[in-house]
Amino acid sequence: MSKNLRWMKKQQRLGWTALAAGLIFAGCGLILARVADLAFNPRIITGLGILFLGLGVAYLVRYGAAQKDPKSVGRMVIEEKDERMQMIRARAGNRAYWTSTVIVYGGLMWVSFAANGSLPALSADGLWYFLAAAVILPFAVYAASLIYEQQK
Amino acid sequence: MNNRLEELRSRKGWTQQELADRVEVSRQTIISLERGRYNPSITLAFRLARQFGVTIEELFLYSPEEDEDE
Repeated sequence: MSKNLRWMKKQQRLGWTALAAGLIFAGCGLILARVADLAFNPRIITGLGILFLGLGVAYLVRYGAAQKDPKSVGRMVIEEKDERMQMIRARAGNRAYWTSTVIVYGGLMWVSFAANGSLPALSADGLWYFLAAAVILPFAVYAASLIYEQQK
Repeated sequence: MNNRLEELRSRKGWTQQELADRVEVSRQTIISLERGRYNPSITLAFRLARQFGVTIEELFLYSPEEDEDE
């Protein structure tokens, strides 16, 4: 099997797997929201499902594009393994990692100071927003770094 | 790092995409290399030099001052 064909098969496999996982998660989230009285909001599970569905569609669109134009597959494979692109991803990942570390360390400090009364304790809503920021901000830094490094 | 990539590529009559396909990198990488914004790995430097039939030293012009600037 050629390198390009292997890459196409991988896109197809990842696409269907992500799509199936997305349907299962989104379905579970929707069903749980209707039938169960949970301590947490099942929209988190539905959201995860939607994320997987998006990933699955993205992989399958790439697979479809590769099938339509087999000549472009070689370039797609090359672009994925391109050493400059890998360096850019590594730099972006490094920045995202440090962003995540700073946020979590900041949260840890806040909780420590709150425990001895120096700072107000985080409410349930405050904790939710803090954790959401701890997930979203590193992603945003990663995406912004990719754009910045690519334009350099 | 300065290099003679654009000069040698033009001499061969290759487009940036053709050179990119030959050394298996993206066209954007060739653009960055030609502008001196990206320093290649040693394996890519060898692949590029071999495409033009020159040595790495003939293709890439190293100056210690650049290291001090970085």
